[in-house]
Amino acid sequence: MSYPDPSPHAVYAAAVESLAGRVLGALTGTRGPAGPARHVEEAGDPKAALAAVRVLGPDVFAPALLAGAAFGPADCEAVTEAFRVFPPGPDDPPETVWRDRATAALLTRHGGDPVAPGAQPVSRTPRHRWRIWAGWMARLSPLALPGVTGPLPEPDARAAQALAMGTTRALLRRDHPTAARLARWAAYADGRGAPCTLDLGAVLDHIELCGSGTARTALDTAIARRLAAGSERRTA
Amino acid sequence: MTAPSPSPAAVRRTAHTLATGAVGWLHRHRELGSLPPDTSGELTDPDSVYKPLGESALAASLVLREGIASPADRRAAEEILDFAWAQLREGDLLYERQLRYMMMTDPLELYTHFARAGYRHERLHALFNHLGRLVSRDGAEQLPNRRLAVANAARVAGLDREPDWQVLTDATWLGHTPEPWAIDWMTAYCVTHTVFHVTDWGGRPQGLSPEIQDYLARWLPVWMDVWQEIQEWDLLAELLIVDSCLAEPRSAPEVWEVLAGAQRPDGLVPRNGEPVSDDPEQAFREHHHTTVVAAVAGTLALSRHRGAPALV
Repeated sequence: MSYPDPSPHAVYAAAVESLAGRVLGALTGTRGPAGPARHVEEAGDPKAALAAVRVLGPDVFAPALLAGAAFGPADCEAVTEAFRVFPPGPDDPPETVWRDRATAALLTRHGGDPVAPGAQPVSRTPRHRWRIWAGWMARLSPLALPGVTGPLPEPDARAAQALAMGTTRALLRRDHPTAARLARWAAYADGRGAPCTLDLGAVLDHIELCGSGTARTALDTAIARRLAAGSERRTA
Repeated sequence: MTAPSPSPAAVRRTAHTLATGAVGWLHRHRELGSLPPDTSGELTDPDSVYKPLGESALAASLVLREGIASPADRRAAEEILDFAWAQLREGDLLYERQLRYMMMTDPLELYTHFARAGYRHERLHALFNHLGRLVSRDGAEQLPNRRLAVANAARVAGLDREPDWQVLTDATWLGHTPEPWAIDWMTAYCVTHTVFHVTDWGGRPQGLSPEIQDYLARWLPVWMDVWQEIQEWDLLAELLIVDSCLAEPRSAPEVWEVLAGAQRPDGLVPRNGEPVSDDPEQAFREHHHTTVVAAVAGTLALSRHRGAPALV
C-alpha cells in the first residue's frame, strides 16, 4: 500500500505536473479551457498552484502561442499573482532570471500588468563545452517558444550540433526529460535555419514511448512537434 | 562560436605515457600468456591464452609499424612478437588449426599481426590463399564487422583477395550512419572494430568515406562521454583508437587524462572501474585486453593526433 507524500516538495511537484497536464491538454485540444486561472481556482493548495505557474513560466502561454488558445485577463491575473507571491530575488540562478524575463514579457504582450522580472540575463554559447552548454539549455527549455526572446536568438550549425549531442547523451543515459527539453530546442533551432542533425521525429517518438510519461515531458515533446512542424510560423 | 583546438602536445604527451606503460606491462607479463604444454590446434578454450597472444602481437606490430617508439619500447615490442610467435610454434599451431577447422578465421586473424611485422609461414600462407578462393568463404555466416576483420587480415597478410570494401562497410551498423542514440555497449564494439579493420588500425584513414568520418566526428565525443562516465575504460580506449583512425583526430586532452588516470603505476589499464585483483594471473586474464587497447590507443595518438578542432 502506498501513502501520499505530504512534503512541500512533493506537493509543489504535483502542482507543476497538474498544470503541465492542463497546458498540454489545451495545446493538443484534448482538454480546455485550461489557462492558469482555472488551475489556481480549482487547486486544493492555491499557493502550490501559483508556484507551479512560476515554475512553468513561459510554458503557460504555449497554447496561446502555438495553437491560438485564449489567454484572458483572469489568466494574466493568475500570472501576476504568482509573481507577487513568489517574486524574483537577487540571488536567483541565471536560468530563473531568463525564465522570469520571458514570462514577464509574455504577460505584458497578452495584456497583463507589467511585473518586475529581476536581473539582466547572462548568455552562454556552446563553444567546445557542449555538455555543459546543453545542460544549461535543458534548464531553459520553457523559453523555446515562438516570439520569446531567449538564449538562442540566432541559432547556427554549431548550436544545432551541440543540441543534438546533448539530446543524444541524454537518451543514452535514459534521461528522457532532459532529452525532451533539448529536442525541443533542437526543433526550435531547426525552424530558424539551423537544421537538426538528428531525425527529430524518431527522437520524439522514442521519448514518448520509452520515457517517464510525465505531463511535463509530454508537454516538451508536444511543443517540440509543433515547433518542428512550423506551427510558430502560422501563429506567432 | 569557434572551438579552440585541443593541444596536440598535451594529447601526445599523455598518449606517450599511456602507451609506454602499457607496452612495458605487456612485455613484463608476457609469460603469463604462455600456452599450456602440448597445446594442439584444436584449442578447447581459444579465448584463454591463444586470443590474448594475438592481441599482444597486434599491439606490438603497430608499435613497430608506426616507428616512433623509443628504442626500449621498440625492443619490448620485438620481444613480445618473438615470444608469441614461439608460442605458436612459428605458425605451425595456426596451420594445424586451420587444417582442422577450414571455416575458422582466427588463424588468419592472428597470423596477420605477425605478417605485418615481417614473419611468414609459407604453407599456412598458401593454405589461406586456397581457402580464400573457395565460394564457401564468401558464404560464411559472419557478422558484417567480422567479415571486415577477415578482409583486413587478408590485406595485411598479402593474400590474393580483393574484397569490395564499400559493400562490406555498408553492411555494418556504422555503414548505415544510424541514430547515434540507438547505440548500445555491444554495438559500440561493432563500431570500433568496423573502423579498425576498414582503416587497418589507422593506417589508411581514407578507407572511411567522408560521410562516415563526419558521422564519427559528430558523435564520438558523446559516446566517449557516456562510457567514460561509467568507467568503461576498455570501450573508452577503443573509441580513442577510432578517433586516431580518422583523417583528423579530434579527441580532447581531458579524455586522455581520464584514461591515463585509470592506468596503474605498473602500466596495467583496468577494463572498468572495478577493483583489480592482486593475483597476477587473474589480473592478466581480466585486464590484458584493455592494456593492449591502451597500448594501441596511445601509440596511434602519439603518431597521428595533430590537434584538429572539435566540431563543437
